Amino acid sequence: MTDLLEVRDLRTWFHTDRGIVKSVEGISFSLRRGEIMGLVGESGSGKSITGFSLIGLIDRPGRIEAGSSIRFGGRELVGLDERELRGIRGKDISMVFQDPMMTLNPVLKIIDQIGMAIRAHEQVSDAEIRRRAVEALDRVRIVEPERKVDQYPHEFSGGMRQRVAIAIALLHRPRLVIADEPTTALDVSVQAEILKVVKSLVAEMGTSLIWISHDLATVSSIADKITVMRRGEIVEAGPVRKVLDAPRHPYTQALLDALPSRSQPGELLASGATEAAGRLDPSKLSGTAVGAPADPQFIQIRHIDKLFQRPAGLLRRLGMQLGLASEPARVHAVKSASLSIARGEILGLVGESGSGKSTLGRILCGIIAPSAGTVSVGGEPVMQGERKRGTKVQMIFQDPFASLDPRRTIFQSVAEGPIVHGLCTKAEARAYVERWLRAVAFDPALANRYPHQFSGGQRQRIAIARALAMQPEVIVCDEPVASLDVSIQAQVINLLMELRRHLNLTLLFISHDLSVVHHLCDRVVVMRHGEIVETGSASEIFHAPKQPYTRMLLDAIPRLAS
Amino acid sequence: MASFIIRRLAQALVVLLVMSVLVFAGVYVIGNPVDVLISPDATQAIRQQVIEQYGLDLPVWQQYLQFLQRLLTGDLGRSFVFNMPVGTLIAQKLPATLELTLIAVFFASGIGIPLGVYAGYRPDSKTSRLIMAASILGFSVPTFWIGLMLIMVFAVQLGILPAGGRGATRELIGVPFSFLTLDGWSHLILPALNLSLFKMSMICRLAASGTREVMLTDTIKFARAAGIPERTILRRHVLKLISIPLVTVFGLELGSTLAFALVTETIFSWPGLGKLIVDSITSLDRPVMVAYLMLVSALFVVINLCVDLAYALLDPRLRHGKN
Repeated sequence: MTDLLEVRDLRTWFHTDRGIVKSVEGISFSLRRGEIMGLVGESGSGKSITGFSLIGLIDRPGRIEAGSSIRFGGRELVGLDERELRGIRGKDISMVFQDPMMTLNPVLKIIDQIGMAIRAHEQVSDAEIRRRAVEALDRVRIVEPERKVDQYPHEFSGGMRQRVAIAIALLHRPRLVIADEPTTALDVSVQAEILKVVKSLVAEMGTSLIWISHDLATVSSIADKITVMRRGEIVEAGPVRKVLDAPRHPYTQALLDALPSRSQPGELLASGATEAAGRLDPSKLSGTAVGAPADPQFIQIRHIDKLFQRPAGLLRRLGMQLGLASEPARVHAVKSASLSIARGEILGLVGESGSGKSTLGRILCGIIAPSAGTVSVGGEPVMQGERKRGTKVQMIFQDPFASLDPRRTIFQSVAEGPIVHGLCTKAEARAYVERWLRAVAFDPALANRYPHQFSGGQRQRIAIARALAMQPEVIVCDEPVASLDVSIQAQVINLLMELRRHLNLTLLFISHDLSVVHHLCDRVVVMRHGEIVETGSASEIFHAPKQPYTRMLLDAIPRLAS
Repeated sequence: MASFIIRRLAQALVVLLVMSVLVFAGVYVIGNPVDVLISPDATQAIRQQVIEQYGLDLPVWQQYLQFLQRLLTGDLGRSFVFNMPVGTLIAQKLPATLELTLIAVFFASGIGIPLGVYAGYRPDSKTSRLIMAASILGFSVPTFWIGLMLIMVFAVQLGILPAGGRGATRELIGVPFSFLTLDGWSHLILPALNLSLFKMSMICRLAASGTREVMLTDTIKFARAAGIPERTILRRHVLKLISIPLVTVFGLELGSTLAFALVTETIFSWPGLGKLIVDSITSLDRPVMVAYLMLVSALFVVINLCVDLAYALLDPRLRHGKN
């Protein structure tokens, strides 16, 4: 008996009012003691539901169907009652989730949360809880654990919170840990640290690990074997090397091809989703930038500073005079940033969270006013006082779910701006909007639907059409592919490249994903703590970085082992 | 934290000042108390004398300034009708109302929160549906009708509880309270229940929707994945996470119950503030009205301050003043 976990014909179905959703449909796999399995798939593939099925946390109307079998350490888990399952959860099998901001309770101290997890399975004294909490934090390499146990989650950074979550998951030295996208919400450098910590802990404790992720690169850096899921079924399984080097299933091949890091920079990515969306139709598109002369200093950003500070109230100012109160806290988001972008260029702006890259993007777009410095596009300032001038600069945001008004149809969302700014009349709006929707390969017949009826990739294309309809010369893209699956991501990247070529657009592409930036951008600017630390062409930055910070970021990128 | 409290107290002063102007002006336009105070057949000389005695011949702003001046020295004026200091008058009636409302509000939370958490935890069970339906009834049926029904059933039909009054009281720090005697409780229970029904339903629904929302978060999934028993999850995680909206409503309701326990007090002949204020309005007893309204605004300000402090206690993210 070498297998710790043996899953046979697992089927997890959700019995909803509108029919049965077969989230997991007859999958089988096994896991040996100490083995690490990467479970890969895109959203909706059933990979997370598989994880929840293993730990017995399927909520109604979902249930594990009869005939399924999950044998763990020789014991059948399917059909156990809630009390028995609770005895296993956290003790023998534990789980870590995606968003460390959400998993820890914000209103409880770390020590209380650890204490509850310990007391779930053991009777222990308060002193023992403290000793073990400190030990647990120390194990995940949190410095000063004696002090940190008495703090609240909001006093920790994202990466530290995820470490605390991992520490809680490992409290009872479980035999199996299920990690559901544990590093997706984190910066690359933090992700690299977490991967290192998890790898060494798992090896030290002899724990088996199932690492669920949409990111093949991360998975390949930690796992022994890979299982690829699609629409509730396993399409391919095998050792990491074999799956990556010689994928047998076309879906695995497609996933690999869609990765920007696997193709030549600047080339269109192979993407089934792009083909499925149909050809984009750039004909009949007018754009103010088409045919404009080259201008290496098209966008000029000069000595931009941005200070976020709440204005001091009357009482506070009085208190400050008397020396009783201090100035309101302030955040120096951007410090004396200067850069220029040539017409038709794609400039990548990279940095970790809190580096000020989004703030700089918003300043360029004229959404927020800088505290000092000027921004001009084509020689004209973007802002006049506190107000934005013109429609030359548009923006695309990270979350296509949040950036479209759920109560407006696609047509209404896209048409609003052009009508207000006189780019088309109300009567022409229908034809005008259709032209731009076609430009992003979106079927104009669907324009009367609402955003919730579309997938993430479709919504992001709508958001792009909305920006384009304003006939901008510059588009600021703030992490436009961060929340998308790889194949959809490839589709959006392809779209941006095509549009740039046809419409002579200038793009500022803000991203923390360096492989996407490498693929798409001509030049790259690296930001850290509000300052620009390095600027150079994409090949310079990626092949001969000068700054240690840039090098650190590059080293942290998980790569497909080759 | 200290600067926060100072700032809030400064704001409170401004609120009270504005309130005093509004109250004074409002009461002034209701009518002339002289018409009520003096019998119609009094001579003009007596009329004039009374008017001067109460300072009613002065311009409004002078009357206001006088009132403000007296207020600052703690003198709320004398009641026209009872001819005694308003402060004493209110102090006599306040404990009864305070007792009734506090017990009602604690009934409301003590019963409403557990029921709500249960209904939010098992939204599909029959009991939960019953709770939620009853809660709709609880805040749509008028208070006075439920009060009358309670008296009908428990006092008239069954005859196990008295229909009104305060019952036997016992003194605590020189003030009589009913809740210290068994007879007092038997008088207290019906009006307190009546007064709490609306609040109970509201708190129950609020707790239910909060619990439903919290139960779906990753925090709860993570706690379950760690094998923590459901009861601990509800007690330690859920209760703390839903507490902020509950405290808000608790504070608001405590204030409004204190101020407007009127209907219940009338039905159950509870000798509280409600009766006093109604009488003073009908007899245009200005000092009592003004003092009562000022007291209510001060209560609201104090309760809201306490609520804000409770937020900081409940949510560590607010305690540090930054997000």
